[in-house]
Amino acid sequence: MNAAENITPKKLAELGVTEPDQVATLFAQVRARFDDESTRVHGEESWKLFRDAWLGRKSGVLTQITDNWLKPAGPGLKPAVGAALNQLRAHVEPKIEALHAAIDSGGDAAASPRDRVDLSLPGVIRPVGSRHLIRQVFQEIEDIFFSIGFSVAEGPEIETSYYNFEALNIPEFHPVRDDMDTFYIDVPSSAGQQSNTSMLLRTHTSPVQIRTMEKTKPPVRVIVPGKVYRRDNPDATHSFMFHQIEGLAVDSDITFCDFTGTIEYFVKQFFGSGVKTRFRPSYFPFTEPSVEFDASCIFCNGTGSNSSGTTCSKCKGSGWIELFGAGMVDPAVYGFVNYDPKKVSGFAFGIGIDRLAMLKYGIDDIQAFFQNDVRFLKQFP
Amino acid sequence: MKALYSWLQDFVTVSAPPDELASRLALSGTNIGGVENGPQGAVFDAEVTSNRPDCLSHYGIAREVGAIYKLALKQILPKPAESAAKIADAIKVEIRSPELCGRFTARVIRGVKIQPSPAWLKNRLEACGVASINNVVDISNYVMLELGHPLHTFDYDKIRDHSIVVRGANSRASGGNNADGERIKTLDGVERQLDPGTCVICDGDGSRIVGIGGIMGGAETEISFSTKNVLIECAWFDPIAIRRATRSLKLHTEASTRFARGADPEMAELASRRCAELILQLAGGELLAGVVDVYPAKHAPKKIQVTRAELLRVMGADVPDKEIESILGALGFAPVRVDENRGAAGSILAAWECTQPSWRAEVSREIDLIEEIVRIYGLDKFPPRLPASRQGAARLPHYEAEMRLRERLIGLGYREVVTIPHVAEERDALFRPADVVPASLANPLSEEAGILRSTGTVTMIGALEWNLNHGQRNARLFEIGHHYRLNGSKPVETRVLTLGATGAARDKNLYEPARDYSFADLKGDLDNLGALAGGLRWQEAATEYLNAARRGALFLKAEPLGVAGQLSRRVAERLKFRQDVYLAEINLGPFYCSYYGVKNSRRYQPIPRFPAVERDFSLMLSDGTHFSDVVKAISSLNIPDVASVEAADLFRGKNIPAGKYSLLIKITLQPRSATLTDAQINEVSARIMSTLEKELGAQLRTA
Repeated sequence: MNAAENITPKKLAELGVTEPDQVATLFAQVRARFDDESTRVHGEESWKLFRDAWLGRKSGVLTQITDNWLKPAGPGLKPAVGAALNQLRAHVEPKIEALHAAIDSGGDAAASPRDRVDLSLPGVIRPVGSRHLIRQVFQEIEDIFFSIGFSVAEGPEIETSYYNFEALNIPEFHPVRDDMDTFYIDVPSSAGQQSNTSMLLRTHTSPVQIRTMEKTKPPVRVIVPGKVYRRDNPDATHSFMFHQIEGLAVDSDITFCDFTGTIEYFVKQFFGSGVKTRFRPSYFPFTEPSVEFDASCIFCNGTGSNSSGTTCSKCKGSGWIELFGAGMVDPAVYGFVNYDPKKVSGFAFGIGIDRLAMLKYGIDDIQAFFQNDVRFLKQFP
Repeated sequence: MKALYSWLQDFVTVSAPPDELASRLALSGTNIGGVENGPQGAVFDAEVTSNRPDCLSHYGIAREVGAIYKLALKQILPKPAESAAKIADAIKVEIRSPELCGRFTARVIRGVKIQPSPAWLKNRLEACGVASINNVVDISNYVMLELGHPLHTFDYDKIRDHSIVVRGANSRASGGNNADGERIKTLDGVERQLDPGTCVICDGDGSRIVGIGGIMGGAETEISFSTKNVLIECAWFDPIAIRRATRSLKLHTEASTRFARGADPEMAELASRRCAELILQLAGGELLAGVVDVYPAKHAPKKIQVTRAELLRVMGADVPDKEIESILGALGFAPVRVDENRGAAGSILAAWECTQPSWRAEVSREIDLIEEIVRIYGLDKFPPRLPASRQGAARLPHYEAEMRLRERLIGLGYREVVTIPHVAEERDALFRPADVVPASLANPLSEEAGILRSTGTVTMIGALEWNLNHGQRNARLFEIGHHYRLNGSKPVETRVLTLGATGAARDKNLYEPARDYSFADLKGDLDNLGALAGGLRWQEAATEYLNAARRGALFLKAEPLGVAGQLSRRVAERLKFRQDVYLAEINLGPFYCSYYGVKNSRRYQPIPRFPAVERDFSLMLSDGTHFSDVVKAISSLNIPDVASVEAADLFRGKNIPAGKYSLLIKITLQPRSATLTDAQINEVSARIMSTLEKELGAQLRTA
């Protein structure tokens, strides 16, 4: 008998095996054939053939041994055949398992380059949209203030002179009206440009302060995102439409310290905790005391000069960037909304969103926001 | 206002380096835009807020410096030598309109020599950006920059009758043929027409105008090199009257800026005296004794109280007594402690009575004094803290609906745009429904931006146009914003969603061919959005700017929501678009409303336990028979197991007779209680077929 000879289809008697001590030799021969064949297994296909040849239910070698050798064996031989078969099975099964595992891990590497994906090729890119950058900044700021208890409100863009000016303590011929060149709406029955009821495009989101206080008793804590309009000729830093977020907090115990704390909290959330802040006294008719709020320049880290030692162009060397105006609500404003200025106090601020976004993202032309070139839009996914 | 460091030092012995001084000034309310070094030393660019006319002068800024550094402010005490002749004999002044002119002072100097100014005077003026003219005119400018009070000098001999009358301009020129108001030729050589009520300075009997009060003098009486005798006017004009006049004249001068913001009426006489002193010094001559001073606006200074309690209530942290007193004192408020605990430092009951200085008319309330104290004391000395919130915060009512809508649009590949609503009337009209009145601007910057958009579509077109003109052929855009219309005289702002798409729906890539955006893309995307609000209903539309073959009107149940479709060829050609453009605009109010309704009534549907069965029917239908007719016919059978009817394929042409088309529909049967048998399926199929044949004349087409 040689190793290549296939002996398992034959009965034991045909092989001349009659004594138990002959069984071991017989099984050794089968095992040798298994080991020999296992070395020739390469890849999934040949492994499957190999597995079926040995473990196949109908005609696999182990089934053949059971059918041809074990079942017909007389009582003298049966225990020896059974034991040997178990040993063989204990050898064959794990080996086949192991072979498969080896093929799995090495198999793809072995596959032809033709079948392999080229990872440097793009996949199928489905078009995805994006929020406008202004919307993104609005959302970010709304979320920061919402987290510290500010509700969100809106108001009309076409306003009356009363809400835009008078009720904010800006009477007609007040000098600050010169800084807020105003678009008026041509309404058929309007009483002319200077009257209280004349319609205009709001020059700031502050009218919503008045509208909110008219509707709500203190405490009030609200922010107002929206579009505002000033009749400026457009250039890189001016657009006759831009965006603001107004803020207003009025309660029985709001102080200047609460005001600066709130603003500082916002700026650190928005620009990062490393940013330094300062408040400069300023003037607005509807706040008193009024401040301009500055943050340390994020481009030069407040040093006034950039890494190459030249003057920082963003803060013009001052180390500070003017961010927005704010202040404690002027008591005169409370008079317009029937709040008692002796019992309540509060603060208000108006943040220019476009400017903030330009600073944060290094955009040098405000017009880019409103041209809506898809190459611009794509940059802010 | 340009301020010279060395000029400030005339009044206050400050020694801080200019940069440090600039920063301290900025942090106390006088923002310094920049510091430049010139031949006259450091020059500050002071950005003075409109409430501080007193700081439009070196003396005013020096007062601030004194308060910041606790340095004494030098007093200005000009004592020009006077001749024996009395001023009262040389000039008469009458104020006929005290509501326009609250004070008028006059001095006369005889025998001056008009000549160029000395170098020191020229240098200071030029460093401040004021051109030198001659010694007398330069001196009046110098005094204005020094003390903040504008002056005007006349050639005394050109003043008729040596008489000045101050009055409001008349509505008709007296005697002349200018029927529509009085006129004057001002110093700058411009002939100006005056609004009635503008304050004018006249001579003689008051008929000839020689100057516009507080704004600009007249050409006829101006100082020239031949002038011998000078009349110095130093007056005070009502701020609102000046603002009214400058607005109507469109003329703003250094003088008008100061009067418009509120000059110091008490300063008028002092500034006149200072001017006389300098003229005597630099131009010689003799000063007539005394001053003609007509002062109808004179009033006792206002008293204002400030209390520690209010300061604490507003500011949330304290300022020591000494600081309060030193700051208010340095700024001229002369604080006097008036509470009963006088002497008890730091008392919570402390109160000070202050006197309003004549140069701070805008400080009239306790809160104003508090601001004065804290801006000098230092805003950084008040410790920031985050106040506790006493109530829950609310988002906008439509916040969630809009967020879900936006999120879905982005998932569908649309990019958000933000447009400016100002458009040309003509452009707006292309998209405006016939019955809509747009909101026009009374004072637009240009015709191109003359009205506010009456639809979202008109500016969406602008965004697409920009992209096509800049080589961006593929765009899929959306905007959530308002359109603006007039309802009678009432403006109405409506929140709308606008979609605009053009170019490829899909670019050619390694795996798929390119495909252009089509009406089906628009419809599918809108239906995807509509699912948020319970589903859209489509109907034929008559929207004119949309292609008649590819357009529809959208409804939520019975409520009209908007329109969608392909831009009509007529409009596309007019806009020079060379590729198809698809548009949609929907009204968001009802959409959001429905979103919440649908969300709140949404309930779980159990997943069916029995397998669904699909059956295809290939139908031949007449053109004009709609898919919706097929669905309607099938649903009229009320077969409970029919879960859906879908259009699976559609074709015309080969093997299909003219006037017909072939539609493959896929019907899904979803049993509730048991798996369907073949017999049941066949029975349902037969009923469906027979109805379609009967109702629509459909023929079953065998493949």
